[in-house]
Amino acid sequence: MTSKPSFLFGLVILLALSFSSCEKDKDLDAENEQELITTVRLSITNTTTNQTTVFNVRDLDGDGGLPPTGDEVLLKSNSSYTLSVSFLDESDSGKIEDITEEVEEESAEHLICYASTGSMPTVTVTDKDTNNQTLGLKGSFSTTAAGTGTLKVTLKHEPEKGSTAACSTGETDAEVTFNVTVSN
Amino acid sequence: MLSWKLSLGVAIIAIMGTLNPAMSQNPANCRITLSGRVVDEKGGPSTYASIQLLENQQGALAGEDGRFTLRNLCPGQYTLLCTRVGAEELKLSFTLVKDTTLTLQLVETGVTLESVTVAASEIRGQGGQAAAELSGSDLEAGQGLGLGESLKRLPGVTTLNTGATIAKPVIQGLHSNRILIMNNGVRLEGQQWGTEHAPEVDPFIADQITVVKGAGSVRYGADALGGIILVDPRALPHRAGIGGVVFAQGLSNGRTGILSGILEGRLPGAKVPLSGRIQGTVKRGGNLQTPDYFLNNTGVKEYNFSWALGWQGDNWQTDTYYSRFYTELGILSDAHIGNLTDLNNAIARGRPLTDADFSYNLGRPQQRILHELVKVRSQLKTGDQSKLDLTYSRQFNRRQEYDAHKAFNQLGAEITDPSILFEITTHRLESDWKHAMGPNTHAHLGGNVMLQRNTTDRGALLPDYSADQAGFYWTAIHRKLPQPFEFEIGLRYDYQALHAGIQGADTLNANRYFSGGSGSLSMVYYFKENLRLRMNTGTAWRAPHVSELFSEGVHHGSASYETGNASLVAERAWNTSLTLEWNQEKRWNTTLTVYYNLIANYIFLEPAGTPRLTIRGAFPAFLYAQANARLMGLDWNAELKLHRQLTLESQVSLLRGWNRKLQDHLIFMPPDQFRNGLKMNLPATIHGEESFVRLTVQNVLRQSRTPASGDYAPAPAAFTRLDLEAVRTLHWGAQPIEVGLAVNNLTNTRYREYLNRFRYFTQEPGRNIILRVKVPFGIRAEAPKMENNSLTH
Repeated sequence: MTSKPSFLFGLVILLALSFSSCEKDKDLDAENEQELITTVRLSITNTTTNQTTVFNVRDLDGDGGLPPTGDEVLLKSNSSYTLSVSFLDESDSGKIEDITEEVEEESAEHLICYASTGSMPTVTVTDKDTNNQTLGLKGSFSTTAAGTGTLKVTLKHEPEKGSTAACSTGETDAEVTFNVTVSN
Repeated sequence: MLSWKLSLGVAIIAIMGTLNPAMSQNPANCRITLSGRVVDEKGGPSTYASIQLLENQQGALAGEDGRFTLRNLCPGQYTLLCTRVGAEELKLSFTLVKDTTLTLQLVETGVTLESVTVAASEIRGQGGQAAAELSGSDLEAGQGLGLGESLKRLPGVTTLNTGATIAKPVIQGLHSNRILIMNNGVRLEGQQWGTEHAPEVDPFIADQITVVKGAGSVRYGADALGGIILVDPRALPHRAGIGGVVFAQGLSNGRTGILSGILEGRLPGAKVPLSGRIQGTVKRGGNLQTPDYFLNNTGVKEYNFSWALGWQGDNWQTDTYYSRFYTELGILSDAHIGNLTDLNNAIARGRPLTDADFSYNLGRPQQRILHELVKVRSQLKTGDQSKLDLTYSRQFNRRQEYDAHKAFNQLGAEITDPSILFEITTHRLESDWKHAMGPNTHAHLGGNVMLQRNTTDRGALLPDYSADQAGFYWTAIHRKLPQPFEFEIGLRYDYQALHAGIQGADTLNANRYFSGGSGSLSMVYYFKENLRLRMNTGTAWRAPHVSELFSEGVHHGSASYETGNASLVAERAWNTSLTLEWNQEKRWNTTLTVYYNLIANYIFLEPAGTPRLTIRGAFPAFLYAQANARLMGLDWNAELKLHRQLTLESQVSLLRGWNRKLQDHLIFMPPDQFRNGLKMNLPATIHGEESFVRLTVQNVLRQSRTPASGDYAPAPAAFTRLDLEAVRTLHWGAQPIEVGLAVNNLTNTRYREYLNRFRYFTQEPGRNIILRVKVPFGIRAEAPKMENNSLTH
């Protein structure tokens, strides 16, 4: 029995060629970078003076690095306010993205929850999603006595809105706490 | 390795009684056991074949299962003759140096004279290390559940699960980068660093899986602190014709269907000694069910494919192998959580938020994993006792993880855009030269070079990095009779260079160089031919992985913020084990292993105390740290024949892990477990295939040895699980059909496993009825009469 080495070489080359069909390492463009929420912005309007003030909590460098920093929310006692919240991607200062629009578009899958402590009054949500259930991008509250407190704002994804404790369901996309001072 | 010579298609004249024994040594020192199995062309047992050693007239009759054992053999040159009515004679020459297992394939006498085939396999060169093997119906029973689940049948092997769809093997408490998986002889270079990254191997490729426990197998590389898993497909056919096997399985839980097949053959004639095989597996499953509820989004899709081609020259052989593994895995939706508050809410619920329905739909979160392997291996016989082996391999691994949340800027987009993407390309070149050093010593000398590129897209959990490595080794095994000892020594040196480039928007440009030696020293002491003690002490080291050095970010699904430690040094294990094997044929078969594994600079995640604040809220923070750790334990396996048809099977795995720096227990160590079963053999079929019914009771204790911090919930309660299994081969005309029926979790028990990371969110799946069918087939090609032919393995 004999076998020609040339045949073997031919075989090996043939096989080697067939490897070129293998998957290659494909790098994706950096443009596909996903957006992330870096900023939670509260726009609070005094219903008497119609004056709107903006307060932010920002974490521009993402999850790691520096912790988020926030403005202190300053309110007047015994006043009525309306509130709207927005979520921004400010990681690229040249290209600030407003993610709130996407939350509105998918309103049935999102819920914004408010939790107040101390002198910060309870926020009443005033808007509805496409299924006529609570959304939370807009709300209202009325302050009473002066003092300090906190307001925790949570953006939930795919919560169980029918649940009795809807705010403890779903995945948290953003959760920030504002310090609040109510003064006379 | 065993050197053997084979004669094909030549009638043998029985010359019994005329030859002198090959060696005239003191019989008390001749302790080698030659055992094996006689199989037919389809791989099924060939009953009542006669096995004769011509040199010393020793003989045996294979049993109903085709198995035979010859004991008390002296080392030396032997010629084995295997005969059976209605089959061609088989003659095999070989040198016997240690316990050897052979598979003898007999060819039914047909109209034409055909070549016979011999497949020989040596007991793994495990030296003094403890090892366990899985093959045949024991392997096939678990294949449908995945590689990790099939290995759970072995003592000392457990799994680390992420839900019910992802299982990683754990050997004596160690997993991920601390164990090696050899996929058809090539070291698997996938994404093993992550606890939720399952091995990228099609379990249906495997014909045999061997687990070598403990450090010290220097031949396969550094890093094997816990052990090695060898996944071996069967050898390419040596005889002309075409054949194969079809496996079909249906699993009630998840309504999973699996179809897998092997088609293989060899060209007739000697001019083109080419054999080949194609193999493929398709698997599709839907939502799994616990005793109380369905688990949303726990389906699976798997499409695997492989081919192999082998060319056999006079004194050389070249094999090419390609395999492609692709899976899409659903991750339980309820396990995907945003922050610590979400996690605590989920733990408080302890079950999914909503009852899902059954569905095959795979949504987010999801993993899509692709693994490709190409291998070319050439073997050249360089002498009577020596062989050179060269292997080149290329692996490509792509891992796409899809977060529960679509990217905000991808609204309405289909599930095509992963949240994070890891890719690895690995090239390896390996050589091994097997040679004899005198009459009593056999050695291997070899080395390898590896080039690897890793990239991460989207997300900055890991940097892009390259990992290049080179290593060389030498092992030698020595046995000189009449000494009842066998010695093995292994030495290895490895060098690794790591370059971490870009991480997200940051340029790291960090270089790390690691080098170190590994080694093992082992001895086997033969009290009696069937009672032996294996002693092994070995050392192995592992360079810190990039994830341990540089990871920075929230780890998917675990709601933990993990920070790498760029100053980590390599960890080193010092492993000592004692294994006692006692086999009393037809009465008992028992293996007891005790081990003590000391790991210096063991890398672990240390809770940081204060949670990390992000815009998504607080995450528990963990830092990679190092400490000296100690793992010790006991693995026990026994089969005791109670009655002619009734066997008691018993397994015990005990393990203690201790962090010496923190003076605390190691986290996520397998709890103590006991597995006891009764196997009742039913009368064999007329063709001799084994039939049995087996009831197994698995007791897993509560892991009471958990560290003070680091886990989010206490360890779950102890549980008892019952499994029932029956195997029988049916015959449809001449066609054998092996049918297996298993009921896992027979009583639909509610339980949680400590080593399942999703135990916070859900119970384990409930009852699972598995029906499997194996149909071997073969068509014999007309082969011309062949002259004497010989080859060396």
